[in-house]
Amino acid sequence: MGSTDDQTVLSCRGLTKTYGQLCAVDDVSLTIMRGQTYGLLGPNGAGKTTTISMIAGLLTPDTGSITVAGEATGPSRRAAKKHVGLVPQELAIYPDLSARENLAFFAKLHGMGRDVIARRIGEVLEIIGLTDRADDRAGTYSGGMKRRLNIGIGLLHRPQLLILDEPTVGVDPQSRNAILESVEVLAVEGMSVLYTTHYMEEAERLCDRIGIVDQGRIVAEGSRSELTRLVGEQTAVRVELAGDVTAAVAACRVIAGVDSADADGATMTVLGDNGTVILPAVLAAVSQVNASVTGVDVRQPNLEDVFLHLTGKALRD
Amino acid sequence: MRTALIILGKDLRLRMRDRSVLLFAIVVPLGLTFVFANIFAGADDVQFTAIVVDADGGPAAQGFVTDVVPALREAGIIELQPADSSSEARALVEDGTAAIAWLIPEGFSDRVTSGAGGTITVVANPDRVIATEIARNVAATYAGELNRIALAVATTVTAAQQPPWAIEATQLPGIADEAAASAIATGATIVTRTNETSSRQLDPRSYLAAGMAVFFLFFSVQFGITGMLEERDFNTLPRLLAAPISRAAIHTGKAAGAFTVGAVSMTLLAVASHTLLGANWGPPLGIAIMVFAAIIAAMGIMVLVGAFAKTSEQAGNLQSIVALTLGLAGGVFFPISTGWLANLSLLSPHAWFLRGLGDIVGTGSALAAVPAAGALLGVGAVTALLGAMRIRQVQP
Repeated sequence: MGSTDDQTVLSCRGLTKTYGQLCAVDDVSLTIMRGQTYGLLGPNGAGKTTTISMIAGLLTPDTGSITVAGEATGPSRRAAKKHVGLVPQELAIYPDLSARENLAFFAKLHGMGRDVIARRIGEVLEIIGLTDRADDRAGTYSGGMKRRLNIGIGLLHRPQLLILDEPTVGVDPQSRNAILESVEVLAVEGMSVLYTTHYMEEAERLCDRIGIVDQGRIVAEGSRSELTRLVGEQTAVRVELAGDVTAAVAACRVIAGVDSADADGATMTVLGDNGTVILPAVLAAVSQVNASVTGVDVRQPNLEDVFLHLTGKALRD
Repeated sequence: MRTALIILGKDLRLRMRDRSVLLFAIVVPLGLTFVFANIFAGADDVQFTAIVVDADGGPAAQGFVTDVVPALREAGIIELQPADSSSEARALVEDGTAAIAWLIPEGFSDRVTSGAGGTITVVANPDRVIATEIARNVAATYAGELNRIALAVATTVTAAQQPPWAIEATQLPGIADEAAASAIATGATIVTRTNETSSRQLDPRSYLAAGMAVFFLFFSVQFGITGMLEERDFNTLPRLLAAPISRAAIHTGKAAGAFTVGAVSMTLLAVASHTLLGANWGPPLGIAIMVFAAIIAAMGIMVLVGAFAKTSEQAGNLQSIVALTLGLAGGVFFPISTGWLANLSLLSPHAWFLRGLGDIVGTGSALAAVPAAGALLGVGAVTALLGAMRIRQVQP
């Protein structure tokens, strides 16, 4: 199977994967073009990792097809695997080897020549900021440095498609920013990136296109602006509550001009056509039930609001 | 093949860095061999130091003291240690100065001539198995023959209307000479039998060294066999499987790691025990055949055991239990040469390995390794196949 367009780096059609009664991935289709960063945004357990495992050739889909750079992929499809760089969610490095040795080992597995390996390792060490510690054992690195090495191994062989599975989980803010900057540099250099995350800000910052995933399905897909338009030209009123949140949500849903009202813990998000108009009505409705307002924020909707609007639950659930 | 070598190189580098493989493959087995070699030094030597205490002094005892004991000494079976009394002899045996003592009690000759039957007491160090067997049989043969011939003579006298319970004292030296000849023959027979048995066994030091080596081989090959589980523990397995390499290449690299560690360990132990302890494992080609077969058996068994584990730690625990059980059953710490345990020990590859080395040492021919090596290779092939089937079943 080949691609119909040489600008298409990844093409997935109708992917399904079930484990017993659990449908982990349900009819997922997506396309990533050359130089594009695509985000799979969804909560833990939504099916993101299963999807990328199939794309990386670790799992065979029950149904559907995948091509990477025009090559059909699967566990025994080595041609397609040459075009893929995988950065697993968990640290996948050998702690008793140095960064240089880790990189050299995986470079050899990808069939890189000896002269190329030395040069490319130097470049990757620069990108991930580990040149000074290149010969220290990885086990002695900080969590952020290990994360960066984890990413460095994935991009070592200049894959056409780099898959990053939640690369910033458990990382301090400074290292997280360094990782995001690295991904931005790769995108500028023309590498296609498939980035899974449950952090809305990361998807908004990095991704050209975003697929919102819930319960194994892509429930919406598009650019950030396309997705936010799904909730209309609306304003989000975010109200911090104390007391009966459920009653407050119910009271707000019947207000004229309110499109939706949902709660995540003590935070209620109300979407409406005009925030300034509905705000007094929202505050009045809350005062009618056994609840009180502890904070209010009126702003344009973001991806989290989109997710809430589409699934009825918060992204971090 | 190139991929397998890359994985092998990485694994060996990791093994050298965590040092555990050095400990299990070389340091501990060699150290234990030294310790046990000193503890059991000379335990099974055929030549031993003996004491004879003659409290009788009569003609029946003289046959033993002047005929039997000198004959054993001239044959190189015993060295004599003087002792003046039974209590001194017992003390010398107890402190290890002598292996055994023959105590001929006062009145021994009178008991023989009166038809009451004479006995010789043997005091022995329980650790000197062969010495004890020789001493006991020589004494029993001498006393038994003495009593039997005396009885026969007495029966003849009875027919001539003499008292039935006695023989003429003058007849006793001749009877003693006959008994002594039988006793000497018995001692020689036991020594010959022992030497024949020994010719098909390793000497104690070689046995200990080879036993320790094969015992720890089962621990050292674990490091390669549990490699796939370790990759999973490190989370590097997905990364390996996502690389453009075959799964077979990964398995081959891991197996090559196990084989290399096992081969290096066994070779170093054979050379070190030969150089430092004077151990003899047999002709080099025979050793190579046996070591190869033992590694294959160890790898196969460890694959089968590891197939039932979910983590490398769990696999290590299961494999250690199996390695320990098979090692004990196979007699790596002490020879099991008789009884039902000897038959049971043949279920252990350790026993086949030691038997194979004994065969090549005894015959001096590497070809003598073929039966034992064949058994080991069979065990390795069958267990590896079963293990692979199990792995495919749980990890399709």
